[in-house]
Amino acid sequence: MRTRKDAAMRAGTATGMALVLALGMAACGGDDDSDNPPETPAATGELVIWGDVNRAEVLNQFKAQIEADLGVTVTIEEIAEDQQTTFVTAAQQGAGPDVMIGAHDWIGNLVQNGTIDPVQLTEDQLAGFPQVAIDAVTFEGQTYGVPYALENLALIRNTDLAPEAPATVEELVATGQQLQDDGEVSEILCLQVGDQGDTYHIYPWYTSGGGYLFGTTPDGGWDPSDLGVGTDESKAAFERIRELGEAGVGALKRSISGDNAIPMFAEGECAFLVSGPWAVNDIKTAGINYDISPVPPFEDGEPAQPFVGAQVFFVASGGENKAVAQEFVVNYLTSPELAVALYEIEPRPPALTAALQQVQGEDPDLAKFLAAAENGVPMPSIPEMAAIWGPFGTAEAAIVGGADVDEAVDAAAEAISEQIG
Amino acid sequence: MSGARLAWWREVGWRHIVAVLAIGFALFPIVFVVSAAINPLGTLSSTGIVPTGASGDNFVELLTDTSFVRWFVNSMLIASVASAAAVFISVLAAYVFSRMRFRGRRAGMLALLLIQMFPQFLAIVTLFLMFTTITDYWPAIGFNTPTGLILLYLGGALGVNTWLTKGFLDTIPKEIDESATVDGASHAQVFFRIMLPLVTPILAVTALLVFIATINEFLIANVFLTRDSSKTLTVGMYGLIAGQRNANFGIFAAGTLLTAIPTVLVFQFLQRYIVHGLTAGAVKG
Amino acid sequence: MRTPRTTSPVSVTGLVVKAVLLGVVAAIALWAAFPLIEARAWVGLAILLVTTAGISYLYLSRRHVPAKYLVPGTLLLLAFQVFPVLYTVSTAFTNFGDGHRGSKQDAIESIQTGSVRQVPDSAEYTLSIATTGDPATGPLVFLLRDPATDQLFVGDPDGLSPLPAEDVTVGLDGRIREAAGYTILSVGQAGARSQEITELAVPTDRGAILASGLSRAYEGRALRAYDPGCDCIVDADTGQRWYADPEQGSFVAETGEELVPGWRVNVGWRNFTRVLTDDRVSGPFLSTLMWNFAFAFGSVFCSFALGVFIALVLHSDRLRGRTIYRMMLVLPYAMPAFAMLLVWRDMFNTDFGLINRLFGWDVDWLGTPWTARLSVILVNTWLGYPYMFLITLGALQAIPRELTEAARIDGAGPWHAFRRVTLPLLLVALTPLLIASFAYNFNNFNAVFLVTGGGPFPADSPLAGATDLLITYTYRLAFGGSGAQYGFAAAVSVYIFLIVALVSAITFRRTRQQEEVFR
Repeated sequence: MRTRKDAAMRAGTATGMALVLALGMAACGGDDDSDNPPETPAATGELVIWGDVNRAEVLNQFKAQIEADLGVTVTIEEIAEDQQTTFVTAAQQGAGPDVMIGAHDWIGNLVQNGTIDPVQLTEDQLAGFPQVAIDAVTFEGQTYGVPYALENLALIRNTDLAPEAPATVEELVATGQQLQDDGEVSEILCLQVGDQGDTYHIYPWYTSGGGYLFGTTPDGGWDPSDLGVGTDESKAAFERIRELGEAGVGALKRSISGDNAIPMFAEGECAFLVSGPWAVNDIKTAGINYDISPVPPFEDGEPAQPFVGAQVFFVASGGENKAVAQEFVVNYLTSPELAVALYEIEPRPPALTAALQQVQGEDPDLAKFLAAAENGVPMPSIPEMAAIWGPFGTAEAAIVGGADVDEAVDAAAEAISEQIG
Repeated sequence: MSGARLAWWREVGWRHIVAVLAIGFALFPIVFVVSAAINPLGTLSSTGIVPTGASGDNFVELLTDTSFVRWFVNSMLIASVASAAAVFISVLAAYVFSRMRFRGRRAGMLALLLIQMFPQFLAIVTLFLMFTTITDYWPAIGFNTPTGLILLYLGGALGVNTWLTKGFLDTIPKEIDESATVDGASHAQVFFRIMLPLVTPILAVTALLVFIATINEFLIANVFLTRDSSKTLTVGMYGLIAGQRNANFGIFAAGTLLTAIPTVLVFQFLQRYIVHGLTAGAVKG
Repeated sequence: MRTPRTTSPVSVTGLVVKAVLLGVVAAIALWAAFPLIEARAWVGLAILLVTTAGISYLYLSRRHVPAKYLVPGTLLLLAFQVFPVLYTVSTAFTNFGDGHRGSKQDAIESIQTGSVRQVPDSAEYTLSIATTGDPATGPLVFLLRDPATDQLFVGDPDGLSPLPAEDVTVGLDGRIREAAGYTILSVGQAGARSQEITELAVPTDRGAILASGLSRAYEGRALRAYDPGCDCIVDADTGQRWYADPEQGSFVAETGEELVPGWRVNVGWRNFTRVLTDDRVSGPFLSTLMWNFAFAFGSVFCSFALGVFIALVLHSDRLRGRTIYRMMLVLPYAMPAFAMLLVWRDMFNTDFGLINRLFGWDVDWLGTPWTARLSVILVNTWLGYPYMFLITLGALQAIPRELTEAARIDGAGPWHAFRRVTLPLLLVALTPLLIASFAYNFNNFNAVFLVTGGGPFPADSPLAGATDLLITYTYRLAFGGSGAQYGFAAAVSVYIFLIVALVSAITFRRTRQQEEVFR
């Protein structure tokens, strides 16, 4: 036992020595001349970035470059699931990262938990982004984070089956039905609904039918006290969706879900697919000839507005290296180099206009997706949006299945307003 | 001849039929995964069980583009250590619960059962808080370390497994250890020399159960392991399908199949202990 | 009943092992103590010391034999299960959740930082971080240049002063590269002092010059500030006030408007009473509870029945290929459960699912209440039977074959032999596991959430679905609104726990006599 204790003591001393050595080395590192090439490990600052798996992977390929440019040690960690909750929980415990990558619609919740800081972008920096991207990261008049990629829904069609882009929903359905009658396809349209509905994918037609989710405040923000679900407009919109559903023409089906919509299109089971940039890879792999156009509106309806989502770099309030984080997010990410590089690794439309212009020559799909975003609105980032998804989707699924519109919409409206409280 | 065949059918043949049917039920969804794994499109396509093509692309991509091998090694390490330790801890307790009588025995056993009935996902927030502190003090057992995760899993080592082992110990006649005690053996000697060898089958079962449960555990590991190099299979693989709207499903399916291999091997290895561990002579004492 | 003799002989090996193990414990304790002493965490240190002393006493003493076997597991259990559960339960008495996570101080800081805006029409500066002393420790200053006017400044906590242009070299990026009397920090050096840079505010007439990263600075001003006098937040522009409300844990204006974030406060039994009084919770409670019991019981019963049946079928020496059969049958257990749940969900698809295609049916499996319930039980049986199969396989070994054979010689058919001999013996060993399995399935969140999401939902009530368990239902309530409500969720969990625990304890008591029979 004595020897054990001694061993432990030695181990403890050794640890202490190692610590002293490390600190000493760090101090020496700090003494390096400032004109040293940044490649040398003079970096003593640190930057911890969290993202989901894809983002982390992409950034990891860029790690050396960022380290060289910023002169700090960069650690990139990936959170497989529940990134937002994990980040909020970790940040609150003081164990969070310096920079978080996430979707812009988290902002409301992140702010209500005090986990992210606003960033100060100059006029020039702001002008580098399309308005919709800036709107997406603006919350209560402040800019929270820098967007780097945008994504939104569009209509993707199989050009061998449907050479012309339909201008209206009615045209789309007519073409789809024709192809179905001819035995070319088995489904009129692939738009994911699923048993629980899908608010995101039905939203363009909900707006085209005249519906809205939240009113807007005078300064352009969302107004949670003005709930659009349950209004006559929303019921009218759902009537039109019902006509497209299983009790109507059968263009919308609950059996088409996020699991099978893209594969079915890729296998030629349907000529039309409502989806986003993430679908393109599979379609290319399958060798389908395709084209991309905006999601069409109803013939006599309002414009069909897809949600525009932005991927954003946030500066964490609780980070230990906030100045470095700000430097990275505000001054480094607003230049097109990284945005282009990120695009090259994962082809999502860059939010930065300059970067987009650089890359859209090689990829015509980008401009088409962007054109489809013209009518789009940023997905509401207020925390109240969380109460929408469930009940709205349930109502949508019920109505697509043929349920009574008034009953389903009223129930959804009641559930949502109770949740918002 | 036909009489013998009839007897064979009554004794053995029907068992084959039932077993094949049961395997059909067991493998039905797994065939689906196999189909997705060799489908070059790599999607969870529900349109058919026959893939549109066959290739090993998904496996190649899995092994080259992701840290699958690393995750695999991590999982094996964590699951092996955790299951060995958990089995030992639970058999210690089971021995006491089965062979000794002391105050609080029944209450203790009941408490073991009840504590595990609390909905786990809420406790995640608390575990996070705990390990934030632990990481500050002792990084060696903090976040992103296998040691910390194993310790965390061992928190549940007492519980159902103890019950399982205790139930088995109860069926071993008391005369065996009583005679040893009379012969002058200490309680530790009785436990290590006599009881442990007798309970190998159930130790093997418990080890397998813990091994599988650890490999499949996701909720805690997801929060606990954030560095790619420290991830386990489930966390790493979940990342393949999370957020990418089914684009990686082929690779994921390939990974799912590969994940099952060690479990099957461990089962294969433990099978003989499970089935032949008890010799009749030992039981009769 | 009986305790082993405490005067049993002591072997040399035993002593050595004991000494080594205690040495390891001491070593670990020592290792763990260093950081605690360093951080002056005396409570933690005290706990550590007491635990270590307790362990040493226990294993050196010759008494408390049962405790010697129980302590290793119990310590881990206390640390990683009991403590988290108790802590979680304690949050049920708070408003802990999104918007109310941290302390009041955190909330104030966050509100103030969040309200910092650039002063209208103020200049934007390029920034270089410098010091008059050592780069690692010297006092920091901001070297600023206004690119619009080419004016140069040096800023420190006392204020802004002009910098003579002749002593300064400006780089290509418009930032000051050299300045006489100052050492300019490299990015790496500056990065290392990130915290200080963030905290440095150079006061000006209209606000303060703050760094925006390491290369730019702006003149900003916090629009909202905390005033301890009125315990409120005051908006500098409009004069509006938000008063601290210790009941709600947030700053509330007279109009009722709340500022975010709030902070965490104790709310007493409010979460518990809300479960009982809120119609949304208590309304569908009874029907959900009934189904919850049916689901847990059905899952356990089906998987147990199937597992035992298959185990018995394979329990024959004359059966060839048993090894292969067994391996195949365990496969469902070897696959990651969440992946298989998703696969099953797809197989139930009405139009494209494998099940309907294979059998030529047109059943809307997950779309109608009873088929959906049947589906989740079927899936759960598939997932659960290998477990039952495995433990039965183990338990069957413990049942002497002579017993079953004796019964059959007495003229009982195989069914009777099973009912009278095998099953009772199996149940003795497995009842606690069945109870545990019941409890597990009672809260089997994934099995329901990933397959049906709790649906199908009746059109007139989108919150309570036909396959909803209490836990999935609670999850939607607690996390579906404008953020997670952990406090409330914890309160509901306590109720759920009480129900399961009560049922289990009653069942457990009833097995007591059974157990004693076989002792």
